[in-house]
Amino acid sequence: MSQAEFPLLSLIILLPLVGAVATGLIRDKGLAKSIALGMSCLVFLLTILMLLVFDSNKSDFQLVEQYSWISSINVEYLVGVDGISVLFLPLTALLTIVAILASWNSTQHSHRFHFALLLALEGVTMGVFCAIDMVLFLLFWELTLPPFFFLIGLWGIGSQRRGAAMKYTLFMLFGGVPLLLAIILLAVNHASQTGGVIPYDLAFSLPVLLETHLPIELQNVVFLLLLLGFAVKAPLVPLHTWMPTVSMEGPTHVVALLVGLKLGVYGILRFTLPLAPIAAVEFSWILSAIGVVTLIYGALIALQQTNLRRLLAFASVSHVGMVIIGIASLNIQGLQGAIFQLLNFTLIASALMLIAGFIQHRLGSTDVIHLGGMAKVMPRLTCFYFLFALASIGIPGTSGFPAELLMIIGALTSHTGLGVAALAGAILGAAYMLSYTRRAFLGPISNNDVAQAQDLRSREFVLLCFPALLVLIFGFFPDLILSVNQLSTEAWLARLRTVFQESHLALLE
Amino acid sequence: MDFLVVFIPLMPILSAVIIGLGFISDSRVNDDREHKTALIARGAIVLTCFLALTLLVCDLLGKNSGHYTVGQWLASARLTVELNFITSGFSVILAALFSIVLVIVTQFSTFYLHKEPGFIRYLFIFSLFSAGMMLIALSGNAVLTFIGWEMAGLCSYFLISFAYNRPVATINATRVFVTNRVGDASFILGIALVFIYLGTTSWVELNSNVEQLSLPIATVIALCFAVAAFAKSAQLPFSPWLARAMEGPTPSSAVFYGSVMIHSGVFLVILLQSVFEQAPFAMAVLVAIGLLTAIYSFFVGLTQTDVKSSISFAITGQIGLMFVECGLGLWELASVHLCAHVIVRGYQVLSSPSLVFNGNGNPMLPVSPKIRRLRWLYNSSLQRFWLDPITERALVRPIRGLGKDLDYFDSTFIDRVMGTPTSSVRALSSLVQLERKEKETKLPYEASDFGRGNGVAGKIFEWTARIMNWFEERLVLKGIGMDMIDIGRMLGHSATTFEKLILKPRYLVLFVFIMLLIAASV
Repeated sequence: MSQAEFPLLSLIILLPLVGAVATGLIRDKGLAKSIALGMSCLVFLLTILMLLVFDSNKSDFQLVEQYSWISSINVEYLVGVDGISVLFLPLTALLTIVAILASWNSTQHSHRFHFALLLALEGVTMGVFCAIDMVLFLLFWELTLPPFFFLIGLWGIGSQRRGAAMKYTLFMLFGGVPLLLAIILLAVNHASQTGGVIPYDLAFSLPVLLETHLPIELQNVVFLLLLLGFAVKAPLVPLHTWMPTVSMEGPTHVVALLVGLKLGVYGILRFTLPLAPIAAVEFSWILSAIGVVTLIYGALIALQQTNLRRLLAFASVSHVGMVIIGIASLNIQGLQGAIFQLLNFTLIASALMLIAGFIQHRLGSTDVIHLGGMAKVMPRLTCFYFLFALASIGIPGTSGFPAELLMIIGALTSHTGLGVAALAGAILGAAYMLSYTRRAFLGPISNNDVAQAQDLRSREFVLLCFPALLVLIFGFFPDLILSVNQLSTEAWLARLRTVFQESHLALLE
Repeated sequence: MDFLVVFIPLMPILSAVIIGLGFISDSRVNDDREHKTALIARGAIVLTCFLALTLLVCDLLGKNSGHYTVGQWLASARLTVELNFITSGFSVILAALFSIVLVIVTQFSTFYLHKEPGFIRYLFIFSLFSAGMMLIALSGNAVLTFIGWEMAGLCSYFLISFAYNRPVATINATRVFVTNRVGDASFILGIALVFIYLGTTSWVELNSNVEQLSLPIATVIALCFAVAAFAKSAQLPFSPWLARAMEGPTPSSAVFYGSVMIHSGVFLVILLQSVFEQAPFAMAVLVAIGLLTAIYSFFVGLTQTDVKSSISFAITGQIGLMFVECGLGLWELASVHLCAHVIVRGYQVLSSPSLVFNGNGNPMLPVSPKIRRLRWLYNSSLQRFWLDPITERALVRPIRGLGKDLDYFDSTFIDRVMGTPTSSVRALSSLVQLERKEKETKLPYEASDFGRGNGVAGKIFEWTARIMNWFEERLVLKGIGMDMIDIGRMLGHSATTFEKLILKPRYLVLFVFIMLLIAASV
């Protein structure tokens, strides 16, 4: 681990929070908005700077900052990034800018509070991606809840927004419990393994816990607890029901943040598998099974949807299934594809959700029954929609293709059945996306409102350009992403394999 | 002169980018813009054609080394995909031929679509398609070929739905794309298997290391690519998509389904000659499918009453014959057949709108009397052997039904078990929606007049029955038994629903499919 000379990561985490406070305090509405936008742009520049400082030739954590926090139980303020997490930061920052721009004029009340919450959300999300101390991670993890609760409950577009916010909160609180239990188990195990005394020899930092031996029975428990905790947020079937509800009730730019930031899957990748390596290899079939069920289940339900927002929610569930299959294949291709796809979510899924928001804003609905023939009236919006829809299907030229190709090859390498299921999911993906497109965007104009709808305004046009360009750039040059996380994923996988093989050798002896 | 190959697919891509950016910045259409767009598209494709011909001449003079690598596109541990191209042999000949056809058709299109509202869109898609075809012909590895393959498929989707305000066109486009997606999945499966067993994605390395493959593996790989080829070249059982695809404007039909894209399946098989020669069973499959398609197309073609469908069946038939030739090991013949067919069919489809005019006075050739007498054949031919309805019933509807059931399951059971507050998902937002919803759900149980009698005895029975009914309804049901009856009825309803669901073939098929998946992986 290389220590940081300058607290760059802390700055990236704290700056949005400071910005949130500033936005909340300033009386003038316009100034507050500008500050929010300026602050998010500044954070984006900082993340770009961090990317330049980051050395992709090292597989370990970098830019690490370590301070003692709660010294009586050894909880530290420990942040750092490696190849797996580093790219999430700039994309999160970009997504926040896009979300702020998208909601520039769409909030009806409490503007300052709204933008302050968006910035606060950015800050804690950065914290989730940077934290490598378990308690710090859990703190940031739970802190993502209040902003989402208020954003969905106060500015939602559905009549049941309060209920949806409550549902989301209850689900997430439920997910937090197994996480907390697993973290306590890990810390106590460290103390007992080193023969120390509780609470002085508890350990919560990830690098330390990775080195601690964990008995196999405990590994199983920890693996399942962490999986359960993260599965709620991912979301995996059958814990996904908050997703369609929130997507129908919440404001679209917030839902875009929700479908774009796949914190749950990141948690599985960062903590669940590495912390319980033997259980992970042995239970990888559970992961695969859940992945296949989620993929096919989500896709089949998406096939039936007539509402774009609900369809995108199920599409997102289905894509998460695909990513889980990629992770469960436990080889480089599958893993790199999975990480690539997670990064894609911040561009593709969120942009599609924003487009749904633009349609909702213009026509008051995203249900096909009120749409039809939009391509004629809104050519620009349709162009962007097609680009992102094709990226979500995984058409070459967009960033969806290399990610999906890698995941499918990874899945096929480890397990033929798994790969075939992934391929079936890819076919269904084209079917549900295009059949909605056909009914909403193509065909004759049957609705008067559609005929008078306005095409993308320049603000909306510009904000969609950022993700669109990145989708194309990553599609044409996938090595830009793959070269950053190559070494870290290799190290991640090598560690899993060696621990597993050692345990097998020990069993044989 | 190997480096020229890079610019061949690049030119149309550049022209597509310029046209696309122009369209996004200003989507109005007028004569001036139409003229400029045509100039860009034509210029790019003429350059491509010129480059392809130069490359061909260089190859004939023996100045090409055979391959050219630009750099690395993607790398993930052992899996590397390079941007490399083939610069000699059949690939170059085909690229040159295709590019000539593309030049002619681009020129034809600018006349044909003059003052059409989608002129710019058409040329944008057409340029992308040209790039895709050049990639298919020239790329040196499987992934790059697949990229071209998919680009061509996508452009075909956009051009079938060219008149996108007509619902039939868009339905057909979606169906064609999803059908082709099955072939694409098979292609990816083939790429993955080649990578797993040979550690490469390059065509050259695949063809030179093919001896390392055991017989079953070679057969599976060959079959994967064969299925991809069948889907792209509209062979059985994928044939029906071709008739649906004829929705697009005529010049695009000519180049997509007449002369260029439809041949990429055969080209793929010819490219993988050595793999197929390693797998006799796959060769047999080629012969069988090709022959069946040829026969099918012949008989169905006999009863077609419009030019375009008639030609489309002639095309699948000829391509079926090419597959037969490949399967019999007559690779040279298949290549020559392919090139000749490209030229003839391109001309034929382009001139099809004026065929009635040109052929005025020439009577149609009568069908042989022996065949004419077979009524069943006539009927089956008219119905195109029911291939479309069969796939509709066997695949599309069950999958849609499965989706419907799962959606119901999700919102009634999982949502209720998991979710605390009810969601407004089922809420209605307009009267139209309410109407549609009511049409879908049948009316619940309704009390009605039962038993009607005639004569004295009959009437007496009727009245007593009514009194009994009234008694039961008013006193027993509404008094004590209402709840119980309700519960009973609900249970009965659920039981019937469950029973109905279980009896549906899709669940059986799904079950079998899952068993097969598990069996395949064990």
